Amino acid sequence: MALTPTLAPGPQTADAGRSARGRRGRVKTPPHRRDNRTAYLMIAPMVILLGIFVMWPLVYSVYLSTYEINFYRGSTFVGLQFYRYVLESPDFWHSIVVGLYYSALTVPAMIIIALLLASFIKTLSRRAAAFMKTTVYLPTVVSTVVASVLFVLIYQDEGVANWLLSLISFGPVNWLNDPQLALPAIAVPGIWLGFGLTTLILLAALLDIPESYYEQAALDGAGFFARLWYVTLPLLKNVLLYLFVTGFTLAIQMIDLPLIMTNGGPSEATNTPNLYIFNTFRDVTPYATSYSLTASLLLFVVIGAISAVVFRLVRSDKAIDG
Amino acid sequence: MGKRHIASAFAVSTVLVASLGLAACGGSDEAGKTADGKTVVTFWQQQFEDYQQAWFKKQVDAYNSSQDKVKVQIQVVPADTWAQKLKAAQAAGNAPDVATTSYGNIPAGAANGELAELDGLLPAEAFTDIKDNVKSFVTINGKHYAYPMLVEPSTVLYYRKDLVQAAGLDPANPPKTWAELSTWATKLTQGKVKGMTIASVPADLGWSSWGLQYNACGHLPVADDWSKSVASDACFGQLLDFYKGLYQSGVMPKQPKVGYADGSPYGNGEVAMMAGGSWVVGQLKNEFPKMIDKTAVAAFPSMDGDQTKPTATLGGWTLSVDGKSKVKEQAAGFIGWLLAGDPAIMADFFKSSGFSKYTVRATVDQALETNPDATADPFMKTISEQVVPFGKAEPAYPWEIALAFGTAIESAMKGNADVPAALKKADGEINDIIKKQSLAGTAPVR
Repeated sequence: MALTPTLAPGPQTADAGRSARGRRGRVKTPPHRRDNRTAYLMIAPMVILLGIFVMWPLVYSVYLSTYEINFYRGSTFVGLQFYRYVLESPDFWHSIVVGLYYSALTVPAMIIIALLLASFIKTLSRRAAAFMKTTVYLPTVVSTVVASVLFVLIYQDEGVANWLLSLISFGPVNWLNDPQLALPAIAVPGIWLGFGLTTLILLAALLDIPESYYEQAALDGAGFFARLWYVTLPLLKNVLLYLFVTGFTLAIQMIDLPLIMTNGGPSEATNTPNLYIFNTFRDVTPYATSYSLTASLLLFVVIGAISAVVFRLVRSDKAIDG
Repeated sequence: MGKRHIASAFAVSTVLVASLGLAACGGSDEAGKTADGKTVVTFWQQQFEDYQQAWFKKQVDAYNSSQDKVKVQIQVVPADTWAQKLKAAQAAGNAPDVATTSYGNIPAGAANGELAELDGLLPAEAFTDIKDNVKSFVTINGKHYAYPMLVEPSTVLYYRKDLVQAAGLDPANPPKTWAELSTWATKLTQGKVKGMTIASVPADLGWSSWGLQYNACGHLPVADDWSKSVASDACFGQLLDFYKGLYQSGVMPKQPKVGYADGSPYGNGEVAMMAGGSWVVGQLKNEFPKMIDKTAVAAFPSMDGDQTKPTATLGGWTLSVDGKSKVKEQAAGFIGWLLAGDPAIMADFFKSSGFSKYTVRATVDQALETNPDATADPFMKTISEQVVPFGKAEPAYPWEIALAFGTAIESAMKGNADVPAALKKADGEINDIIKKQSLAGTAPVR
């Protein structure tokens, strides 16, 4: 590939600016400074909004978590007591395990299905590809609530899932009320809802890989799997990392599906972290308010820590350009 | 980018931030007066059966037109969003002046200062009209924190007379013990129709099993002074075995489509018997009228057949005034008019309910005595004579304790743990709740 000439102001430009200022005292602001100022102004609304709606509430939440909150009689300072309560709670850690299990069930499956579909769509004609892209994206625009209700019906004793099993003289299976099966059963609509967007992102990434790489690899005698392993996957690494981290972050925070389909049961088998916190918050005691607040903050730390570990394990290269 | 563009970008960002800030700060409640000078009383009604929404609206309209000083603004709030919506409003200082409050939430609400004392706000004779056993439900340390509206037993047995007869059983002689109930459920399970339905998830088991917890052990799984858990008492094992037997023998639906409070599986003919609250009578009358003639009700069977032991708690609803309300007097005035005033108003409510709920005032009973529909209703007679007199008050301890015990029942039912292990886990969890919430010795004096 031809090298693209750099357009960014290089060191020489910056030196020229400094020397000009040195010679003439007050001079026009250098172009890159003006660009910086413009950039700061452009991101200012987002930074201000983040400050108001994210950073300040976060700081204030940490402050509030040191109190047992009572909206009527005044709050009592309890220091880090609620952090200890949450960290000691087996239910909190169980919910984290459930969240991780749900992520493990959904994210890799979603990425693999999406990669296969994207590879397939890439081989299609323009018109067929357009049809397929629309088709695979459709579940993404379905409301989670609607999908939940739909799958609850599918999983009923007389539902489609058990009807299919009955064709091979099996079942009926107690999909949503068996502690071993409930989370995998919920993961299915989770994958269904998410794979459309993942497919489109992977398709865009696949199309970005120059065809000449594959031609060269084919000339060197590489088969399908060799091309996949040595060409496709390395060049998709950053996109896959992005999909993995964002998919994981979303999956561990899943609340809608288990809330509607099982309300965390049976025997807390689908009690994801956010659902656990939500149900704790609904209780009327001041204890419950402070406990759920502290659990939310600790969940934030846990998700952040796991994401950091993922980034470290799957090292992101700055750019593997084609 | 030129200066003009920079200025434009800055202006746009300023306007955006300012408008969002204004949007966030706007909408605060002002003054609490209508344009014509009436004091506004906000009233949140938890959403119940459809006829209740209609009845509350009718009465609020009647109250608003009966005087020119107060305007009550009613808002219906769905049950599944009630807790978070109310808590958010309390945090913002916008809690409603009047709210529907269940008996179980009164002790915690009074302890936290969320509920105003009604003694100085309503005339003393309003409280003397309340039946003695119900009076204790709204009284903490001698003070009244809510005015009761109704009671409804949490657990009654409904059964299909036609199916019972077809199975060779006697509809006039319903099961008296848990063992007999299991036998009936087995015989009534035919094809797609299951013999029985009862709660099977912790959120339902937590409260619907209170009466049966009393039945099995004579007490709930917490010591009376809330000092320790007694969930591992052997008698609770028999209760868990009962639920486990029903679930694992396949005589009840393993994947219920609706929660315990909803009687539609019975109404739709999917089950032959149902454990349900008395409110299901109203649901059957309104939504499944064809099922009425085929249905009989009985007190839920007792562990040992003793029908004088409790099998249900008397749940129900009250109206309360918010502890921070600026219009407590007007709010209490509305409650007094609606619940403690003319007995004909509440008699109308019980008629609308299909006599599926039970009165809390002597004068309302008297008003209903002259109503032939009330005296002739077979369901009302059975429930009021065989269930209500033995019903117990809902416990006042935090919901987490009830949920821990409900989870133990579910674990046993679904085979996630054997009965002793499930009870041991609940015992540990309840002791942990007692310790962390400093509950020992805080049981309210009713």
